Amino acid sequence: MRIACLVLALVATLSAAAQELTARIRSARPFGYFVGDLIHARVDVSAPQNAALSRASLPKPGPLIGSLDLRDVKLSESVENGARLWRLDLTYQNFYVALDARDIEIPSFDLAISTAAGAETVKVPAWRVGVSPLREVAPQKQEEATDYMRPDGSAPFVDEATPRRLAIGAGVAALLAFALVARDRAWPPFQRRRARVFSALANEFSTRRAGDDSELDAAIQSVHRALDTTNGATLLAADLPDFLRRRPEFGPLRMDFERFFSASKRRFFGGEQLGDDFHAEQLAQFVSALARRERSG
Amino acid sequence: MNATLHVVEKLADWRERALEFEREIQKAVLGQARVIRLVTICIFARGHVLIEGDVGVGKTTLLRSASRALGGDFARVEGTVDMMPSDILYHTYLGEDGRPRVEPSELLRLAETLPVFFFNEINRARPQVHSLLLRLMAERSVSAFNRVHHFPYLSVFADRNMVEREETFELPAAARDRFLMEIPMAAPDDEDARRRLVFDPAFHDTETLIERVSPGSFDYRRIPEVAGAIQTEVKSSEALERYVLNLWQALVKPESAGVSLPDVDVSSLFKGGASPRALAALARAARVRAWLEGRDYLVPEDVRDLFIEVMAHRIFVDPIHALRGDDIVKRLCRAAFDATPVP
Repeated sequence: MRIACLVLALVATLSAAAQELTARIRSARPFGYFVGDLIHARVDVSAPQNAALSRASLPKPGPLIGSLDLRDVKLSESVENGARLWRLDLTYQNFYVALDARDIEIPSFDLAISTAAGAETVKVPAWRVGVSPLREVAPQKQEEATDYMRPDGSAPFVDEATPRRLAIGAGVAALLAFALVARDRAWPPFQRRRARVFSALANEFSTRRAGDDSELDAAIQSVHRALDTTNGATLLAADLPDFLRRRPEFGPLRMDFERFFSASKRRFFGGEQLGDDFHAEQLAQFVSALARRERSG
Repeated sequence: MNATLHVVEKLADWRERALEFEREIQKAVLGQARVIRLVTICIFARGHVLIEGDVGVGKTTLLRSASRALGGDFARVEGTVDMMPSDILYHTYLGEDGRPRVEPSELLRLAETLPVFFFNEINRARPQVHSLLLRLMAERSVSAFNRVHHFPYLSVFADRNMVEREETFELPAAARDRFLMEIPMAAPDDEDARRRLVFDPAFHDTETLIERVSPGSFDYRRIPEVAGAIQTEVKSSEALERYVLNLWQALVKPESAGVSLPDVDVSSLFKGGASPRALAALARAARVRAWLEGRDYLVPEDVRDLFIEVMAHRIFVDPIHALRGDDIVKRLCRAAFDATPVP
């Protein structure tokens, strides 16, 4: 608040016992207020360091007299040069409709302060400010009653382009953020289609000629790896019922699965070799059947 | 060739009797088919067993039935905090003439005819007792009365009290490694079995229950011979051996095998314990399972089915995870299986 250039008045000097209790009122200007204006005043009260101000004695915001309101009271406290200083920032509002330039009185009030010597009262004295009229007392005669009215203030120019740009920018940023979240969470359309491992394997088998036993071993192992990938973990023969329950699209191939696993078991782990009629052709047929079921799933 | 054929035929015959042995136990122990299968595997793999189970789920009934079905004796010792090794070996009492006497304990007296020795609450006993037990398990012999006593058919079954912690002495890693399996035993899930266990008076009296088991359905004196034949006759293919070695690697160095667990840094998880003895035990037990399933070759399912029971109690993880029980070890084992391809 820009107060301070003018010290209005008034140093209240108290009794001999409380020489050091002083109140000083400052205001930005003592004149030039119109009806409705806010009048800012600052009251500095200094006292011995051990003094205490009774908060209850502060003036209460509200109407003071018919044409003057106290709008706001702010108190701050500090210690300067071994003296306690209370700074009261008071905001008054003037409702006096002046017809000529004249002073109005801002009423006085008391502050209760307790010191080592006992309870004291500091009187902040009344002071005056000059208020001025808004219009002439006897204006020039007008023909139309509306001519006495003053024109409205011009409407401010509002630039619509900037808020629109900002709104569009925020919208684009929100869409981008949503797209990032959708991608992170694999919401459509970012969900990845399951890799078609069996189709890839069937393609690989179709380009490769059926070879000898060791190649059949490698082919069976590659089918195992594809099954592991589809299952998400190593798939053993014992896991087959559970796997077919989770992936019902492969259900119709149950018999082929069992034949494949028993053939793989015979080749890799032992057991009777009799009736081993599982060849590269059967394996290729099994893989293409898997690829078909995979596409349908 | 003839000799091999002969052994193969005998193994098939023995298998029938082993299955008969399981069926006999099932007459007395309801709804515990897997536990009975695991105990059978341990007996024919000549291993010792840690049984983990709540009180009153039928551990003693199971072991007494097993010993009766084998036609042998049964001895039981309760672990206590003041027990000393001599309490297991010697029976001391005052004779009629008032003089102190020292006689062989029940364990020593039954040494030659004892297939099942039940050590209840083993972690209540002191380390001195554990060390005696370690020798008994490793060498199937003890020294007493200035000579060595042999237990040719013995399998030790030990129960750990996992509820109380006061005045208990946890089995050291070396002792746990000597047990072929740790078998969890819980009340059966099947509602019908539960109802019968609670309301059928036949299950209230252990003595009459065990009478149901016909004695000697598998002669315990044949076990060493059968166990040897199983280990030589059940074959493991090169692909299967590679699989077991890959599994071992996946346990010991999980990060190199692509094993991962949510919320756990697997590279610092494993601290030790999956010893060559553990893997050898796994192979022995898997062969017995293959034999019981009527095969003369191992398949990956044999290994996987027994893996947790054979391995979990011998795997030691970072103490920060060990505080949360053995669940992390089981998860590590399952993740190793999921990540190890076969064949």
